[in-house]
Amino acid sequence: MDHVFVAGAGMTRIGRRSESLPDLMADAAHVALAAAGIETPEMIVVASMNPEEFTGDGNFASHVASHLGFARVPAIRVETATSSGAAALHAGFAQVAAGLRRNVLVVGGEKMTHISTPRVSEVIGRSIDPTERAYGATMPALAGLIARVMIARQPGSLREMSQVAVKNHANGARNPYAHFQEPVTLEEVNASRMVADPLRLLHCCPISDGAAAVVLTAERARVRVAGIGQGADTLALRHRRVLTSFAATRAAAHAAFAMAGFGPERIDFAELHDAFAPFELISLEDVGLVPPGKAGRATLDGETALDGRLPINPSGGLKARGHPLAATGLAQIVECVWQLTGRAAGRQLQGRRALAQSIGGLATNNWVTVLEAV
Amino acid sequence: MIESIQASRCPRCEVVVAPPALYCPWHPVAMTPTTVDPVGDVVTFTTLHSPPEGFRSPLHLAIVELDGGARFVCHGAETRGLRIGSRVAIEAIDDIYYFSYLGTLDRAKLFWRRAGHAGDRVNAIARSLAKRVWKGKGSHRAAS
Repeated sequence: MDHVFVAGAGMTRIGRRSESLPDLMADAAHVALAAAGIETPEMIVVASMNPEEFTGDGNFASHVASHLGFARVPAIRVETATSSGAAALHAGFAQVAAGLRRNVLVVGGEKMTHISTPRVSEVIGRSIDPTERAYGATMPALAGLIARVMIARQPGSLREMSQVAVKNHANGARNPYAHFQEPVTLEEVNASRMVADPLRLLHCCPISDGAAAVVLTAERARVRVAGIGQGADTLALRHRRVLTSFAATRAAAHAAFAMAGFGPERIDFAELHDAFAPFELISLEDVGLVPPGKAGRATLDGETALDGRLPINPSGGLKARGHPLAATGLAQIVECVWQLTGRAAGRQLQGRRALAQSIGGLATNNWVTVLEAV
Repeated sequence: MIESIQASRCPRCEVVVAPPALYCPWHPVAMTPTTVDPVGDVVTFTTLHSPPEGFRSPLHLAIVELDGGARFVCHGAETRGLRIGSRVAIEAIDDIYYFSYLGTLDRAKLFWRRAGHAGDRVNAIARSLAKRVWKGKGSHRAAS
């Protein structure tokens, strides 16, 4: 297997955007291509979760390729629900690693703030098991069911979840690409509107527009994809015996570290999928960065803050950077690449190895990617 | 109260799922139809204040571990006093399932009502009660 490098990375500011989805994706893609010094890629992998429902566009890989000025460049679309961006990265990685292409543009995006919130909830909720959906289960509802179990086991965990939100908003305040660039206090989190008991509005990520892109090459560049892994689990939450850990993340992390040839102790910082604040705590333990049961303590002690031992979500995470569905898995990679190459002004970390973890659906299709500065 | 809930069992790993499924989630094996008792313990629950289109707020949702082993998603009229591990009965209204919290009196009634039906049910309920006593009051056996 050939080494695969990230030669360029780009993204739009995340938030409520007036541009069309193809325009946002073109913006991110051309920044990434310019950074890589490549005018025309050999292939394009496009990630978008629900363009048919949100924007009415189909045949979306060709649509994006033509819109970018690459009408004759082969393009495919990859979809694994909310982790589609990470899945697209893997599809591009496999092309370069197998020697089929010398370079691949991977671009993901979503546009949904122009749609009403109940409608957006319903569309995203289609990634849930049909029986659970028939009972009105949405992503926040399932996250609420999980958070309830965490709190029953460890009564202090609600405070830990709130602290995740406070920390990630503090990081987002330093990121000019973030949806939310204002800090929030613990009191504000705990006084925000109840969404899915015990989860409140400020425990949940926003609905965002945006796009992110990377260029993968066989030619040596400053950041290498050291490992990448996928994990899967049941579509139905009720079929799982354990609700406070995601088997799909554990399997993905195991595969990624096996490919990398080193373990979580070598990771300097990480971007984790905090669509709901409790998911950052669960994910921290699932990827092996902290021992089981210790994520809450590490968060309260400031270990995962920007100036801590193990900064988590320096970008602000899904919570504050925002969550434009299929852009998110790639936005995590862009943040890691910018951090590893000294381009994260205002929130710059020191470190050589980064991890990104992306959750698809209710942790049915998860990805872990390990990046290394070379 | 309904008599039973339709479910299916995997002939290979014995897992029971409700509602019934064609294939086991864990094995590419056709499942065998079975039924489970409409009584169980609350695994977890939530109240959704921003339900999707077609549902009224607040929407109470729970995952219940039925005595036959299947974990089941259902609605409830309210969650006041409900805890993880609470004993609930499942009711059906127009094919939609609801949990209702069983206090000590309800459980005693259920026990005697079922006692009139069949001896094996008595044994099953007695075994379930004995197991609960054995595990101690307030233990969250269904907690993940």
